[in-house]
Amino acid sequence: MKIKSLGLGVASALAMSVSAQAQDYSGVTVEILTRPGPVIAQRLVERGEEFTAMTGAEIRVTEVPFSELFQKILTDWATGTNSIDVGVFASGWATELVDGGLVEPLDDYIANDDKINVDDIAPYFREFNQKIGGQTYLITVDGDFQMIYYRQDVLEAAGLEPPKTWEDYLAVAKAVHGQDMNGDGEGDFGSCMFKKRNNQSYFAMGTIAASFVQTKGTNEGIFFNNEDMTPKVNNEAWQEAFRIYKATGEFGPPDELNHDIGDTRGLAMAGRCALVIDWGDIGPLSISEDGAAIKDKMYAAISPGSRRALNVDTGKLEDCNPTLCPNAIDGINYSPFGAFGGWAGAINAKSDDTVKQAAYDFLSYVNQAEQSNVDVTIGWTGYNPYRNSQLESTELWVKAGFSEAAAQNYLGAIKDSLNHPNMASDLKIPGAQQYTGVVLDRELARFLAGEITAEQATANIEEAWEEITEDFGRDSQKTMYNLSLGITN
Amino acid sequence: MTTTDDTERSGETRAAVPGGGRERLADWLDRHAQHIFIWPAVTMILIFSIFPLVASFIMALSRIRLRGGSYRVRFVWFQNFEKQLFGSEQFHFLGTFGGMSILGWVVALLVTGGIVWWVLRYLMSGPTVVGLVGRLFTWGLVLGVGWLLAATFFSGHPFGTLGTTLFYVIFGCGVQFVIGVGLAFLCSLPIKGRSFFRVVFFVPLMITPIGVGYAFRMMADTTKGPFSPAWQWLGLGDFAWAADPWAARFFIMIGDSWQWIPFIFVVMLAALESVPRDYVEAAQVDGASSWEIFKDITWPQVVPVAATVLLIRVIEAFKIVDLPNIMTAGGPGIATESMTLHALFAWRSLDLGQSAAVAYLLLFVTVVTCVSFFNLVVLRRIRA
Amino acid sequence: MSRTLMQRLFEPTSIRDMAIGTKVIVYSILLFWTAFVLFPIYWVLITSFKTAVDVNSGPVFLPFIDFQPSLHAWKELFVFDYEDTLKAYVNSLIIALSSTAASVLIGSMAAYALARFEYRPKFGVVLTFVLVMIAAFYAVGAYGVDWRLASASGIAVFVFLAIALGRYFKARLSNGDILFWMISQRILAPIVVVVPIYMMFQQVRLLDTHIAIILTYTVINLPIVIWLMYDFFRSIPIDLEESAQLDGATRIGVFWDIVLPLSRTGLAATTLLVMILSWNEYLLALFLSTSRAQTMPILVAAMNAGERGILWWSMSVVIIVMIIPVIVLAIILQRYISKGLLLGAVKG
Repeated sequence: MKIKSLGLGVASALAMSVSAQAQDYSGVTVEILTRPGPVIAQRLVERGEEFTAMTGAEIRVTEVPFSELFQKILTDWATGTNSIDVGVFASGWATELVDGGLVEPLDDYIANDDKINVDDIAPYFREFNQKIGGQTYLITVDGDFQMIYYRQDVLEAAGLEPPKTWEDYLAVAKAVHGQDMNGDGEGDFGSCMFKKRNNQSYFAMGTIAASFVQTKGTNEGIFFNNEDMTPKVNNEAWQEAFRIYKATGEFGPPDELNHDIGDTRGLAMAGRCALVIDWGDIGPLSISEDGAAIKDKMYAAISPGSRRALNVDTGKLEDCNPTLCPNAIDGINYSPFGAFGGWAGAINAKSDDTVKQAAYDFLSYVNQAEQSNVDVTIGWTGYNPYRNSQLESTELWVKAGFSEAAAQNYLGAIKDSLNHPNMASDLKIPGAQQYTGVVLDRELARFLAGEITAEQATANIEEAWEEITEDFGRDSQKTMYNLSLGITN
Repeated sequence: MTTTDDTERSGETRAAVPGGGRERLADWLDRHAQHIFIWPAVTMILIFSIFPLVASFIMALSRIRLRGGSYRVRFVWFQNFEKQLFGSEQFHFLGTFGGMSILGWVVALLVTGGIVWWVLRYLMSGPTVVGLVGRLFTWGLVLGVGWLLAATFFSGHPFGTLGTTLFYVIFGCGVQFVIGVGLAFLCSLPIKGRSFFRVVFFVPLMITPIGVGYAFRMMADTTKGPFSPAWQWLGLGDFAWAADPWAARFFIMIGDSWQWIPFIFVVMLAALESVPRDYVEAAQVDGASSWEIFKDITWPQVVPVAATVLLIRVIEAFKIVDLPNIMTAGGPGIATESMTLHALFAWRSLDLGQSAAVAYLLLFVTVVTCVSFFNLVVLRRIRA
Repeated sequence: MSRTLMQRLFEPTSIRDMAIGTKVIVYSILLFWTAFVLFPIYWVLITSFKTAVDVNSGPVFLPFIDFQPSLHAWKELFVFDYEDTLKAYVNSLIIALSSTAASVLIGSMAAYALARFEYRPKFGVVLTFVLVMIAAFYAVGAYGVDWRLASASGIAVFVFLAIALGRYFKARLSNGDILFWMISQRILAPIVVVVPIYMMFQQVRLLDTHIAIILTYTVINLPIVIWLMYDFFRSIPIDLEESAQLDGATRIGVFWDIVLPLSRTGLAATTLLVMILSWNEYLLALFLSTSRAQTMPILVAAMNAGERGILWWSMSVVIIVMIIPVIVLAIILQRYISKGLLLGAVKG
C-alpha cells in the first residue's frame, strides 16, 4: 500500500508538470486489456488517470489472467468482437496479429509525434521489438531480456569471480551451495532457476541455448535456419543447454521443478540464492521494501556465454574460433536473450480513428522518457529499462535507492547486453506460443522429470516444430521468421 | 419443440371453457401445458449443447486458424485424432510405448480373459441387440484401457493424459466414496455435536475450485508451507513431491478429495438417516452387531442413492482441470495433466482442432464409462 | 455376568448408546476429519492477514504470537481497489442468483413434465432434425453462410422433411430417452463446447454481458436440476394433483400451488448445489467475460501475478469473501433442508 500511494504521489506531481497543451479527447474511451496488476497494469492505470486529466479521454484498463491474455485479444480482434482497443502484451505475440491485419501500423503516428523521441530507444527494442517487417506496430513500455544476477558478498567471501560461461556458473553454484546467505542459520542455494512447467522455464532455456547456438549476430536467430525454416534444435548445442539447465537444479531448492519465476524471485529477495537468471526486475526490486535482504548485494552481469558453439552444418559443438564466433570476447561467445521481448502496446486496427489516435497518444505518453525514466526505477511497476537516457546516468537510480556502485553495475550489465551485436531474439512468428510455450516447454518438462533424454527431447521438438510449420505454411513462416530477425529480402 | 409435434396428447383433455380473453389464454395455456413445461428446457439445451457439440465436432475434424476478421477452416478428416492416437502426440495422450514387461503381459492377458468371460456370460444370458451394441463399447473401452495400462504403467513406461484422468476418476472417486460413506455412517450414529460435524464437513464444497487449488499449493509447499517444519523434522527436506509423478498425482487427488468428499458425505448422511429406525432397532434387539446391521439392513436401503451420487461424482471428476493446472501446471513432465487440461493447453496455443479432438476423446471415454456405469450398476440396483 | 475389558470397551450397554471404546474411536476420527477440513481454511484465513515477508520467510501459524496481523490485503481490495472488487462481486451475485433461479425453474418444469406427461417423439424425426442442423452448421462454418439464413432455411427444410417423411418413421422415443438425453448433457466437459458458445454470443453481440453468462450457466446446470427434481417429483403422490384438477385447477396452477410447495426440501437442496456450481464456475466465465461481466473466480486467478509471484494475501481475501454468500444461502435454506440435505432428491 505504501508503495502504491507513493507511486500515486510521484505520478500526480508529474502530471502537474506536464503541459496541458494536449489534444482534447473528451468522451473518448480507450479499452486496454493486459495482465493482472500491480505489475504492468497498475502503472497503466495511474498514467491513465493523468492522461484523462490532460486530455479528457477515459482509459479503462481491464486485467485477465496472464495465461489467457493473448488468446482473449486474438479472439476478440479476429472474430470482429472488437471490445478491446489496445492490448498491452508481449511484443513477440504481435506477429500473429499483424499477420492477420489486426494491428494498426504506427509509423505515421510516430512521424507526427514530437515527444516520443524514438532515437532514444535502445536499438534492439526500436528495431526488433517495436517493428515487424520494417513497420512499427508496437510501443514498448518495458524492455525485457535476461541477465545473470550474483551475490557479490557471497562470491567475494568465497573468492570467486562472477561466472562468464555456463561451466563457471555450475562451478560457482556448486562451490557456494548450502552456505547460509541470509543469516537465518539455514543452508541456502547455489542457483535459483525457475523450472515449473507451463510457466517461464522455456525462457531460461533460451538464455542458456542462445550462447551455444547463435554466434553471427541477431540476424542469425536461435530457433530455425533462415533459408529453409528447418528447426535448428536437434543438435548438440541445444542438448548441452538442456543438460546444463537440469544440472543447475542440483544446486537449487529441492522442489525447484514446481517453482515458477514468482517462487524464484521470492527466494532471491529473501537472500537465499547466490546465482539467479532473471529479467531486469531484480535490480529495482532489490531496493524495494521486500528486497531488504539483498539491497546492494545482488549484482548483475551479461548472461553467461560459452567457449564452444554450434557448427550449423554438422550439428556439433566446436571450440570457438574467429570464424565460428566472430563476436566472441576472449574466446567466449555471449548471446543475451531477449526473452519475451518485453511488454508493448498494440492498437486494434478496427477501432475508431479518434480512439486510435487517443490510444496512440496514451501509449506514447507512457513510453516518453519523462514518464518511463521514472517508472523503470520502481520495482513493482515491472517496467525495465529500454531507453538510452535511462541508462546514461545513475542519478535517477541512486535517487530511487541504489548505491552508486550497484547502480553502475546494474546499468553496465544492461548496456553490455543491449548493445551486444549478438543479442538473441525471442521467437516472433505466428504460432510462437505453440512452438515454445507448448512444445519446447513440454519436452523440457519431460526431460527435467527424467522421462526422456536430451536427445529424445530435441528430436521430439524438431518433429513437432516441423508439423506446426507445415500447418501454418512453410513459406509464410519463413518469411515471417526472417522479417522478425530484420532480414528483408 | 418439433420432436413433440406429432405426439399424441396423453394428458387428459379438458372441455373448452367459454369466457373472456384472459380465461381463454389460461385455457390455451392449460391445454398446451405438456409442451409449455418442457419446451424451454429442450430449446435451451438444443441451442447450448447440441449446436456447440456439432460445431466442435466439425472443429475436431479441421485445422483452424484465426485470421483477420474470420477464421480459416481446413477440413482434415481424422488427422487430429490420428495425431493423438498414433502420431506425434501419442505419448501425450496415451503414453510412451516400448516393449511389454512380463507383468504387462500378465495384466493384459488377465484383462482379456476377464472380458472374454464377461462376453460369454452375457451371450448365454439372452442378449438383446441394443444391449449388445452398448456392451461392445464398454468391452472395447475396458479392453483398450487394460492393454494401455499393461503396455505403459505395468511395463514401466509413463502413461499419458488418458491414464492420468482415469487415475483421478477411478482411484480418486473410490477414495472419496469410501471416506464419504464412512463419515456419513459415523455421523449417523447417536453422537453429540452431529449438526456441528455436518456443517463443518460441508464447508469445503463451498470454496471455489481455483481457491482450493491455490490453498493446497500453499499446503504442499515444502519451503514455506505450514507442513515444512514437519517435513524437515522427518528428514524429508530434500524430497520434492512436485518432482515425483506419483507424489504429485496423490497431492492433487488429496486436494480434489478434500473438496468433494463433502458432497458424498451430505447426500449419504441424508440417505442413512432416512432408513427407518424400527428396522435397525429390531435388529439390535435380535443382537446383531453394528457391522451386521450396516451390511444387511442399512446398506441395501441406501444403495440406489449411493450409486447415483457416485455417478454424479464420476461425471464431474472427468472434468478435473483447476487443481492440476494450479498446483503443478501438469508437471512434472506430463504426469499430472488431465485430459481437460490437455485440451486447455492446446487451446491456449490456439490449436483449436487438436483441442476439440482431445475434448472429443474425453467425451467418448466419459460417455462410455458413465453410460456403462449407469446401465450396469445404477439401473440394475434400482430395478433390483 | 461380568464383562471383559474388551466387552466393556466395545459393546454398548444400551441400544441408544455406544460403548466407550467405540465412542473414542468415532470421535477421534470425526475430530481428525474436522481438523483436516478446517486447517486449509484456517491457513487461508490467517494468510489473508499476512504480509509478503510473513509468507515468504517460512511458515508462521498464530496471529499476534508468530506474526503481527496486517489488514493491508483487505484494505487493498476493499479500500483502494474497491470498485473492481465490488464490481466483480456484484456481477457474480447477479449471475449466480439469476442463473440459479432460471435453471431451477426451467429444470423443475421439465422434470415435472417428464414425471407426469408422456412424450413419444418419433426417432426418425429427431434424427432428421439433427442431420439438417449439422448441415446448416457446416454451411456456416465452412462456407461462411450467414447464420440467420442458415438456421432459417435449416428449419424450413426440416419442417418440409418432417411432414413429407413423418409417416414413414415408426420407432419412437420415450420419456426415459428424453430424460437420459437431458442428463447426459452434464457429461459434456465445458472445454468441448466453450469455443462455439463464444462464437455464438459473438454473433449476437452478447459477449461480456451478464445475460450471456446467465444463459450459459442456466443450461449447464439444467441437467442437474432435471435429474434431482425428476426423482423428487416421482416420489410425490399423484392423488393431490388429481383432486386439485378435478376441482378445476389448471396444470400450471397445480404445479405452482401444490407441487412446488410440496417439494421444498428437494428444491432447497438443488438450489444450493446449483448456486455453488455457478458461483464458483471459472472456465466459461473466462471465455465469456472481458471486463464488464468479470466474475469473482477470475479475480482469484488474477491474483497470480505471474513473474511477481502469487499475491497469496490478496488471493486469500478473495477466497474468504467468496464463501460468504454461499454460507448465507445455506443458512437461509437450512430450515428446508434440515430434515435431510439432498435426500429424496437423489433417491432413485
